[in-house]
Parts: sequence; structure tokens; C-alpha cells
Amino acid sequence: MGEIILDVRNQRTAFATARGMLNAVDGVSFTLERGKTLGVVGESGSGKSVLSRSVMRLLPGNSVVPSDSKVILNGKDLTRLSETELRRLRGPEMAIVFQDPMTSLNPVLSIGKQIMEVLMFHMGMKKGPAKEKAVELLRAVGLPQPDVRVNQYPHQLSGGMRQRVAIAIAIACEPDLLIADEPTTALDVTVQAEILDLLQRMVKERNMAMILITHDMGVVAGRCDEVAVMYAGRIVEKAPVRELFNNTRMPYTAALLSSIPKVTDPPHRKLDAIEGRPPDLINPPQGCPFAPRCKFAGPECEEQVPPLEGPGAHQYACVKPLGEEVAA
Amino acid sequence: MRYLLYRLRRLAIVLAAVTFVTFLLVNVLPGDVAYEMAGMDSSEEEVQEIREELGLDRPVVIRYFEWVGGVFVGDWGTSFISSEDVWHAVTDRFPVSFELMLLAQILALAMAIPAGMASAFRPNGRADRIIGALAFASVSMPSFMTAILLIFVFALGLGWLPATGYEPLSSGLWANLKPMILPALSLALVEWTILMRTLRVEMISVLQENYIALARAKGMSNLRILWVHALRPSSFSMITLLGLQVARLLGGTIIIEQIFGIPGVGRLLIHAVYTRDFVVIQGCVTFFALAFVTANFLVDIAYAWLDPRVRTRGSHG
Amino acid sequence: MADVTSSGNADKDDGKPQIDRNALAIAMHRKSRSFGLYFWIPMIWLIIVAVACVFAPLWGLPPADEIDWAYIQSPPVEGHPLGTDNLGRDLLSRIIYGGRVSLTVGFAAPFIGVGLGLILGMIAGYYRGWADEVIGIMIDAWLAIPGLVILLLFSVVFGGSLFMVCLSLGLLFIPTAARITRAATLNYAGREFVLAAKAMGASDFRILRKEVFPNIIWPLIAFVLIDIPIAIVIEGALSFLGLSVKAPTPSWGGIIAEGREVLSTSPHIALYPTLVMFLTVLCFNLVGDAIRRRLADVREGAI
Repeated sequence: MGEIILDVRNQRTAFATARGMLNAVDGVSFTLERGKTLGVVGESGSGKSVLSRSVMRLLPGNSVVPSDSKVILNGKDLTRLSETELRRLRGPEMAIVFQDPMTSLNPVLSIGKQIMEVLMFHMGMKKGPAKEKAVELLRAVGLPQPDVRVNQYPHQLSGGMRQRVAIAIAIACEPDLLIADEPTTALDVTVQAEILDLLQRMVKERNMAMILITHDMGVVAGRCDEVAVMYAGRIVEKAPVRELFNNTRMPYTAALLSSIPKVTDPPHRKLDAIEGRPPDLINPPQGCPFAPRCKFAGPECEEQVPPLEGPGAHQYACVKPLGEEVAA
Repeated sequence: MRYLLYRLRRLAIVLAAVTFVTFLLVNVLPGDVAYEMAGMDSSEEEVQEIREELGLDRPVVIRYFEWVGGVFVGDWGTSFISSEDVWHAVTDRFPVSFELMLLAQILALAMAIPAGMASAFRPNGRADRIIGALAFASVSMPSFMTAILLIFVFALGLGWLPATGYEPLSSGLWANLKPMILPALSLALVEWTILMRTLRVEMISVLQENYIALARAKGMSNLRILWVHALRPSSFSMITLLGLQVARLLGGTIIIEQIFGIPGVGRLLIHAVYTRDFVVIQGCVTFFALAFVTANFLVDIAYAWLDPRVRTRGSHG
Repeated sequence: MADVTSSGNADKDDGKPQIDRNALAIAMHRKSRSFGLYFWIPMIWLIIVAVACVFAPLWGLPPADEIDWAYIQSPPVEGHPLGTDNLGRDLLSRIIYGGRVSLTVGFAAPFIGVGLGLILGMIAGYYRGWADEVIGIMIDAWLAIPGLVILLLFSVVFGGSLFMVCLSLGLLFIPTAARITRAATLNYAGREFVLAAKAMGASDFRILRKEVFPNIIWPLIAFVLIDIPIAIVIEGALSFLGLSVKAPTPSWGGIIAEGREVLSTSPHIALYPTLVMFLTVLCFNLVGDAIRRRLADVREGAI
């Protein structure tokens, strides 16, 4: 067992809306070790982005988190820290890369300035050394001509380059935990792999832990150690990546996997989209939230929400898991 | 560049229209200036004589173009009443009005920026509501009323500041500023609300932006996020307004200079209105229009400083 | 997974307060849709002012220009509840009669301005082309002169009758009203129902009246509501400079200007009308704001 960087226990995040409480994250627990990457996969609206913001403690004013939810980073319970104390951790201990590099960089500040301010605030660096370090970081993330780019503004860079800048900002203070929230969704297919490779290299080089959030099973395949599949604010299946792909138990995971196009498919084959829509999180249905869309659902699925359990590292929240039909 | 040229052409047409309409208004009057110069009991011939002497018997359009020709070489005409050269009369007094407007704008911004930020930081929070209520009271209070209350409290009541008067800069900075504080404050207490509301609305939407979320994720303090990350992208509308407000401020100075006895262009204009000194009125209006047009041109330039996207586009083409 | 109440540390969240907190948060997100005290209290003041001004002759007040030689520049006394001004005229009577001028201008000017702006804006927005260009330049020119300067010019040229004051003040509201109308007309002139009416051979006038006008009238009504207090304020400024209705007709700005001369000895002469005018303008602002929000709510609900 490696050193545990992050320990999330029973995280719940709800939002007060005009219609009622919306339970965006509903009792999520996991741990993450140094040097490892956890993939979090799910459809949009499954709560994966809210989860990332809950870990960073960057939630909007109308959010409610009960006091038994815990996020423990390097032994410190983030839910007990004041805003000032949290601020000192954001950057040096945890950092995030957002989905859309077009909007996540400030248009009126040069990219150098946006990197330098992190270094100056957290590492107490002076302007000169901070600028040198910024150039060095831009070089590390593979931005061409870093000494020129450092004085440029975000609109002068392409999407892929901007995401490299965002990664440079995130790793500037050598955080222990890096959250990549759909880092490639907004990018051209051609640069997606480059950015993912870069992230993977940074994690290995700097011995960080990473949470890679995506809706694309194909992204997690080669790049994660463990994968957690989220549905309706809960983790519904969690397993080491190879185990998850080879021995899928949860029908929802299976449905996600079958929606990846395969190289062997004949051209113009229609993709298997999952039928139906995700449940209403304000008035969730009784029982397993996936049951209304599940091909295998029976009456027993609607009795109660199945707990996440299972032998060893492979856990799943399903009453009628795949591979056990014979027994049933 | 093409945009700037388009703006320039438009501004020139505007200036021409303003001056021509003013010229028409003050020249096609029922009782023209010749009557007043000739005196109460003058004969029709005497009036006619003065009219010819002043060139008032010729068509308005021709006189307008003569006047325009004069404007370009600095000949803005001579006051009928005081025989003062209008160009000198206006330019001598302008620095005084300019100082007043500048101080008012600075005070208004000094109130509007922190207040707008505090409001936008937590919309509908306590600070937002208090500031909103203050703003409501403030807009319901025209500058001449504010001026009278300020005089009543700070000049007559507490005796801290003089109620009227003006000191040139040559008698010292503080001596010069002291009598300017109440007049500038009277103007600023009206103007700040509009600036504040504009900034608040724009900043609320900027604070929703992803780059603000990223700044938070970088561990930046709220103050730094507001001042460094959010203020500049939020101030475009406010800067535009600063330009448009010049017109309102110019109007405001007329009344404020009158109340506080400040020898600026506004006071020159109102005096000319009281004495029906049309050449001076024409000169002042032209000057105001010029000042307004210039201010708005400066606003266009300020955009370039605010937004690097505009700046770099300019350097490319 | 454990539910909320099964937490190990039972410090402050034992279920119930949690729910209360949620209910509160939800309630915060629901907009209250009825007029509150912020509407009714100002409304009562405005009704008092309006009744006092409209029926001014019925209150048995001394005429606004009658001089009481026994009380000159007097603080409030028997018979003069707000005192007298520096000529011995009853201040309450002057404030009430002055209010008639302010209210007349306050209502007439915005309607004149918005009416004219509506016509210009519809022409510019519907016909586009050179008409749009010419009207655009007119508006720009109009905006380039400070409003007060325009009024000064008009007062010099046309003199100080109540009608001319309303008209020239109304002219100030043209540019913004025209711009709003133009934008709204542009928006609607391209819509299907207008094109359909055109295809059926309706005349331009009919289209503007039947199809465009009903759709753009709401933002303009909101605009009139904003303009009423503005008109009152500008009339006040004008009469403060002595360029509104001619003396001896009282007006709020005029009384304040007279009171300014004796501010150090008899502050009440300037301060009472200041207070009345401030309250009236404030109340118009509050009422206008409430109605505007209501209009927006109703229209949101309708769509």
C-alpha cells in the first residue's frame, strides 16, 4: 500500500433550488494513493464535476454539505478548514484543470502573469524568479517558444495550447493531488491524446495522485489504475481498470462500455446510446436509480437503493449483477 | 482603423448637426440681439443699422458657414454684451470646469468601484441590499439638492469647508482643492449610482466565469480575485458610461458652478442665458459638444487598454 | 451507504435543523410575486401628494403669492404650519402649488418624449436604410448636447410657459425611447407573423399598428415609469435656475433656490421643499421599480 493522499468519506453535496433539494453527490467514498490515477466516469449530470468541486471545496453558495461528509487530504480534513486555510492548500496541495480552456483562462491577463501569481502567492517568489519559473513550466508542458508565449494573452493561443497553460498553472506549486475535470472534452480529437499523455507524464514525473474525470470510457482505459463509475450522484461500480473492463458487473457500466465505437465495427454502425434519461435528482425514483433504464431490471431492483459492495477491490451497487444470471 | 475612421466621420456629422441647430435656434429668435443692443426706445432704422453692422440681415446658412470658418481659426466671435472674445472666455474658464468634472468623476469612481464589487460579490446579500438602498436614495436626490444639504451640514453647520468660492491652483494645492470638495461631491453623489449598478451587473456575470473559478482553485484571495481578475473584464460598460456621463456632468456643472460660485464654463453659459448673449451661448454649446465628442473618443481608446484582444487586433492591422 | 443521520459525530446535524435549513434555502429561491411594503408605503405618500396638489384650492390655504406682512421669513407658526418664505408667503401653500407644476411636468414630459421617440424608432427600425441613418445621426447629435443645455436654449428661445417646459423636457426623452423602439421593432419586423401579414398585403401602417406596436409597448411603459422621477428632477433643476415656469408661479426648485439665499438664517425654507421633493422622487422610483418587476414577472409567466 502506498501513501494515501486523498480519503473521501460519504461525501454528499446538495443544492437548494426553487423546486427542492437537488442531491448532486449522494454518499461517495473512495481513497487515492500517491502516484495513482483514479478515473471517474459517468454521463453528464451524474455528479462527477460536482464531486471534483466538492473535493476542492469550491461550491456555490446554495450548496449544502452535511457534517458527516469528510474529505481528508494529506491527513487534513478539508471540511473542517476555514476558507483562508483552504486557500493555502489550493495550489500547493491540490489543483484542478477545467474542461474548457477557452473560458478558464482570464482574457485580460497575460498567461505569464496567470502562472506567476500562483508562484508569488504560494511560494513567496519574487517577480523575476517567478517569471523564469513560469517559462520553465511552459517548456515542461510542451508549449513551443515558451519565452515568447509567456507574454501573450489567451486569445493568441489555440485550444490545445491553452489547456497546456492550464496544466502548467495546475502543476506550478507541485500539488499532491491533481484533478482533471474532462480535460479534453472541449478539444480537437487530434490533440486529446497529447493532452492526456502530458497529464499522465506529469503525474508520473512529479509523483502526484490524479483524479481523471471523463464521460468517455475510452479515455480511462489505458491511463487509470482504478475506475469509479458514477450514476445519479453515486458510485455504482468501482474496480481496478483491467478488472472493470474484463469482468463488468454493473449493467450501467456495460452500457457505457458498449457505447464506445470499436475499430472492428463495420463503418456507419449506429452507436448504442443508453435508452432513457438520467433520473430526476430532486425526486429520485424508489430503489436502484438505474432500474428504469436497465435491460435486466426486475421488481427486486425497485425495493431499495443497492449498497456499493463486493469482494476485494471490485465493488458494485447492483442486486442482479452481470455474470450471475445463472445463479438467479 | 476602419472602425475609428467611421467613428470620426460620424462624430464630425454630429458636431455639424449640433452647431447648426444651435445656430438656427439662437438666430431665428423672435426678438433678436439688435433690439437689445439698440436699446428700448430706438427706431426701426437704428435697429436695422445695427443688424447690418453685425451682418444679421444675411441668410442664416451663409452666416453659419462664416461662423464655422471662424471656429477653425479660433475666431468664435465676440460677446455682444461684454465684448469679450468668446474663444478666450471659454478656454480661460474651461480648466476650472474640467477640474470640477475630473474630481467628481474620481470621487464617483472611488465610491462606485468598491460598492459595486461588494454588491456583486454576494448578490442579494446584506452588503448588496444596503448599497442598493443607498443608491436608490442617491438617485432620488438631484445634485442641486445634495449641494444645498452639503452646504447646510459641512459649511454652515460644521464650518469645515467653505460654502462658495474658488481659488486658483497658484495659491496652493489644498487651497485650490478645499472649495472644490463640496461641489465635486455634489456631482459625484448622483453619478456614482449609475456607475455602481453597471459595474455590479457586469461583475455578477463575470464572477460566474470559468476563469474566476480557476482563480479560486489557484488559491487566490477574494480581494485579489475581485481587483485583479474580475475588475478589468467587468468594467467595459462602466467605461462606456464614463464617456456618456460627460454630457450629464457638463449639465451638472452648470447648476453646481452657479450654486458654489465657481467661475467655469457652466457659469459663463448660464450668465449668457440670463443676458441673452447669443454668441457666447453658441460658443459654449459648441464647446460642450466638442468636449463630449472628445471624451467618447477617449473611451474608444480606453477599450484598447482594457481588452488585449482589441489591442493586438490593432497592432496586426 | 449510510444516510445523513447515521453520522458518528452528532454535533449539529441531527436531521431536523438540516431540513429547516433546506426549506429556508429553497424559499430564498422563490421570488415573491406580490407587491410588498416597498410598494404600498411609497404609493400612499404619492397619493397624499397627488390629492394635495390636484385639489389644492379646496384646503383653505392662503394663496401661494399672498404676502403676510406679520410673518416674514418666519419659522412654523399658527396659521403657517411650515412657516413663511423671505417675502412672507405661506410655505406649505407654495409647496403644494409648486407640486402641481412638478407633477404636471413629471407626467406630461415622459409621455410626449416616449410618444415622439416611438414614432421615430418605429420608422427607423421598420424602414431601415437612409431613414434609419438620418434618425441615428439626429439621436447622436441630440445626445451630444447636455440635456440641461438643450433646456436652457429652449427656455431662452421659447420662454417659460408650462406647456413649453413640458414639451422641451419631453424632447430629452426622445433619444433613448427611439433607441429602445428601434431595437424592438428590428426584432419584431423580421418575425413570421409580420412577414405573414405583409404577404397578405397589409399596409405598413397597419402592420406597425397591429403587429409591432402591441409587442414593443411594454418596454416603453417601463421606460415611462423610469422617466417620471427624472422629469421631476430636471424640472426642479430648471426652476432652481429660474428658467422653468415664470415667477410668481411657485415650483419646488424655485422655492429651494429662494431658500438657498437665507440658508444660514432660515434653513427651513430650503429644507422643507427639499424633503418633499426628495420623498416624492424616491417614492416614484420605488413604485416604478416595483411595477417594472411585476411587468417583467407577468411577461415571463406569459411566455
